[in-house]
Formats: sequence, C-alpha cells, structure tokens
Amino acid sequence: MLRTEKLCKRLDSFYLRDISLEVAQGEYYVLLGRSGAGKTQLLEVICGLTPPDSGKVFLEGEEITRKKVQDRGIGLVFQDLALFPHYSVQDNIMYPLKLRKMSSTERNERVRHAADQMNITDLLHRKPGNLSGGEKQRVALARTLVTEPKILLLDEPMASVDASLKDSIRRMLRRLNRSGQTIVHVTHDFGEAVSLASRVGVMHNGRIIQNGTPAEVFTHPVNRFVARYAGFKNFFRVTFVKSYNNWSCITDSRTKFRLTKGDYPSSGLLIIPSTEVFISRQGAAGVEINNIPGVIDDIVPSPLGYEITVDAGDIFYADITHREMLEQKFFTGENVIISFRSGSLRLVGESDE
Amino acid sequence: MKGHTLFNWIFAILASLVLLFIIAPLAGMFLDSSFSEMRSTATDPAVRRSVWFTLAIAFASTFLFALGAVPLAWIMARRNFPLKNMVQGIIDLPVVLPHTAAGIALLGFLSRDGLLGGAAQKAGIMLVNNGAGIAMAMSFVSLPFLINAARDGFAAVPERTEKAALMLGASPSRIFFTVSLPQAWRSVVSGFIMMFARGMSEFGAVVIIAYHPMIAPVLIYDRFNTYGLSAARPASILFILVALVFFVLFRILATERRQIFRREDDAAD
Repeated sequence: MLRTEKLCKRLDSFYLRDISLEVAQGEYYVLLGRSGAGKTQLLEVICGLTPPDSGKVFLEGEEITRKKVQDRGIGLVFQDLALFPHYSVQDNIMYPLKLRKMSSTERNERVRHAADQMNITDLLHRKPGNLSGGEKQRVALARTLVTEPKILLLDEPMASVDASLKDSIRRMLRRLNRSGQTIVHVTHDFGEAVSLASRVGVMHNGRIIQNGTPAEVFTHPVNRFVARYAGFKNFFRVTFVKSYNNWSCITDSRTKFRLTKGDYPSSGLLIIPSTEVFISRQGAAGVEINNIPGVIDDIVPSPLGYEITVDAGDIFYADITHREMLEQKFFTGENVIISFRSGSLRLVGESDE
Repeated sequence: MKGHTLFNWIFAILASLVLLFIIAPLAGMFLDSSFSEMRSTATDPAVRRSVWFTLAIAFASTFLFALGAVPLAWIMARRNFPLKNMVQGIIDLPVVLPHTAAGIALLGFLSRDGLLGGAAQKAGIMLVNNGAGIAMAMSFVSLPFLINAARDGFAAVPERTEKAALMLGASPSRIFFTVSLPQAWRSVVSGFIMMFARGMSEFGAVVIIAYHPMIAPVLIYDRFNTYGLSAARPASILFILVALVFFVLFRILATERRQIFRREDDAAD
C-alpha cells in the first residue's frame, strides 16, 4: 500500500535518515516517538508538502515521490487541525468537494454522510472558533474523509482533545480502520499506540529504530529508548559470567543476578518489569529467585497502588497494590529484600540514547 | 501608593499636553470660521470639484496599485528569497523621503523626457499636469501603508490552513483567494483605507507633478497664497471633515479586527 525507500531529508537542525517503512492495505500503523523525533516531518515528506533529499515514496505500487501534493490521493489531518476559521463547518467539509467535478446534490449528500459518520450533523452551521477540541477533530477528519483518501495520515490526533473524549475518538478511529481505511497515525503517547496499532514503528532522532506489532515491540524492545517508552524503569548494564554451567551477571554497581540457562554475550543491558519485582522483609524462596537486600528510598502513589524505589547498590523500582501496602506498611528508610525470578530478566540491545 | 498617584498625574499631564497640541490648532481653525464662510465654501464649485476630484483620483490610484501591492505583500509574508530585506527597504523608502524630493524624482520619470513619460507621450498621454500623474504621485508616497498592512495580515494567517487546502486538492491561486485573502482581508482593507487617506492628503509630491488640475491640498495652498488665511481656512475645514470620515472608518475597522482576534483567542483558550 504505502512504501518508503531510504527517505532522507535534512531540515534546519534535523535529519531524517534512511526511512524505509511499509504499511499494508487496511493496516493501522502507529509511528511512535518523542516530540522532535521527526514524525511530523516524515508525514510531510510522504504527502509531498516537503520534498525529500533522496529516497522514494510508493503508493499502491506507483512511485509518487515527485507527484503533485493534490494528485497523490493522501489525506492528512494536521496536529492543529488547520480548519478554515472563516468558513462554517459545512463549508469546511464542502471545500475539497467544490474542487471536484460533481453535482451539488452529490456534494451535499457526501457532506451529510461524513457529518453523520463523525456525529457532527448538529454543528454544520457553526464556525470552527466556537467548537471544542473534540468537535474540531471530528470536523477535520470529516473534511479529509470526504476526499476518500487511499491512505489517511493523522498527526497527533489526540493532542487537542480532552482526556475524557480520547476514548470516543479512539473508538471512532478503530471503526474507521475496520471499515477498510488504511491509517498512519503519529503520536508520542505509548498508550495510544498500544490501543490502536496493528503495527508500531518507534522513531528516534530521525530514524525508525524498531518496527513490529505492539506486543513484539513492547515486550522485546531493541534498546533502552524503546524499553523506556514501553514503561520499563529497571535497567542494568551487566557483564555476563559463566561458572560450572550456571550463568550469572554483575551490574556496574557490583550487584549479582542469577540467570536462567541460555546463551549470553559478554555484556549487555538487562531490564525487569517493575510489576515482577517483589518487596518483602524476609525475601522469597526458590532456586530461580534473586534476593537482594536494600533500603526503601521513596514511596510514590501510582494509578494501581504505589511505586516503591529501593536502593540496593543499583536502584530498583517495584509496583505494589494498595492492599499489599495496607498489609505490609512499608516506610521510607526501611531495610527490605528485593526478589525477582531469573526468568523476569530480559536482555535488550545496547543503549541508544 | 502616593508615588503611584504622582506617577499617574505626571503621565496624565504629559499625555494631555500632547493631545492639546493636536487638538488646539484644529479647534482654533473651526472656531475662527463662521457658518456663512463655511456654507459659501461648501457651495463653491471650484472647491467641490477639487474635493471630489481628490477623492476620485485617490480611490482609483489606490484600487489600481492594490492589484500589484497585494500580491507583493503576500510574497513578502510567505516567501523567502535573496535580498528580501533590501526589497522591504525599497518598499519603506517613500515613507522616509521628503515628499518634494519624491515629487522631483517622479517628475524625472513622468515628464516627456523620462522613461514612462516619454513612452506615454508617444501613446498621446501627458502624465504631468494630468490626473494620471497625480495618481502616481499619490500612490508613490502612500503605497507602503497598504503593502505593510497587507503583509502583516498575510503573515498572521496560519500557514497550516494553506497547507491543508493544498492537501485537500486546491491550486495555489485558489488557496490565495479562498483561504489566505479571506483571512487577511481586514488588514488588506485597513491598508487600503490608510493608503487612500494618505494619498488624498498628499501635497508635496503632487504639487511638483501637477498644480492643475487642483487637488484639495493644492487648492488650499493656492487659496492661502492668493487670498490669505481666512480664505484657506474654510476649504481646509471642509477637507478635514471629509478626511475625518475616512479616518473614523479606519478606526472602526481596526477596532473590529482587534475584537475578532480577541474572540478567537478566547475561543482557543
């Protein structure tokens, strides 16, 4: 459907490098990255608003790298939505239709259909200045969808939407995708990517550093940056040691972990999900369990309970529930034991920060 | 608090002195003219002809030059090119030139020995001592007002709305007329009125290009030279009143524009 081949673009202080990606027909592809990663610039290169320095863009097998923006069949909804403030909602949606040869009856029918689809029929005679963020978002989508784009590019579509309305916009986008619309969605929000994407590309410093399904990307991050994005906080740079057929590793702060059997490089980066780190006063029993003594450094409320930071030479983060906290009554400065299974440790690529 | 009050008083007095400086000569002129003088001046065919001629020439020249000035303003707002600052300097040049010097420069260009004047004469048109020459003199000194106001208006149009129109399939000319100009039109109209008002009050450049046919500022000068202050005063008042109408119109438009921006800001919040 959409394919880019080694796209490069140098902007003022920024460089898009060797962007090669493929989006299949009907796919919901989410491009995830921090602000300044180059996501918006990539969208502008794909849709032709910014010409690339090198590389190619293909849509449905046809090369469109030098094709006029108007003739590409790509729809783009900007982050700031860019509604025409001097036109009513109806005239905004009608705008692209007036540029196409069709009867006024057909135009009105298409506007009505798009308004129904986006649930904005009662807003048609209002001006964009009088709409909420969510309403503006629906109008901008309707205006783009009436052009029946082959592919829809969305630049941070939730940015101007209240948290309470994000769910309804997500549902609407999923419905749109289920109806067959191919979507490329740019966001910095990990949760948004997980809830919408059929595939995710993680972008960092003008490159796509990992591609795959959300499960692949977030359970097996290729490096520290992606791991951080996926919410991992426990990172340890380690040296692996094999003795009598048993593997272990030593962190830079000299903390030792037991590892499961397997092949390990000489050194690497290990992560542990904070949900798999347990805190107790007596430690846990078992061959595959690591028990490490430490001192509670901080206790911070989190949506599901508390996040406890323990200083054990290395810093460990552990998530515990409200109930556990009520039972255990941990306090800052208390001596505790960190426990985690050797199988919880995951090896990721080298740091890329 | 006491210091604050003293500060307010000093500023109020200084501000009042400046306002008085502007109001006093004008008020004095109105008070020194009798109603009968005003009535006879208002019915004087030469004065009426001159005022209408001034308005017509100022409007026509503003309208004609706007056809080039508005695209130039858009280019200055939207495009980057080599020597752009120099081009902006050229646009602003007529504002800082002495207007008589501007008239002399124009005379060299419009006289039958000049580049444009010579070409026009071959086509049977005399630009000096003619409405066309007056229109050019008015436009020369007043064009920066339109170009700069329109440029600011186009610069304030969110560029994303123009890009969105492009994505929706519009051609550049369609984007200009349906997206850029409608959003910038109040600034363009403000600039149009400022150029018109500045053009119709021009004396220095016009008097060098054409003493006749007489525009209102030249007529006032002529009455003053020929008959003295009392003869020039009623004609001045009449012309000031006409100028005032357009000035008030501009102020209303400008205020309306500020209120619209404020409403949009409030809506965005």
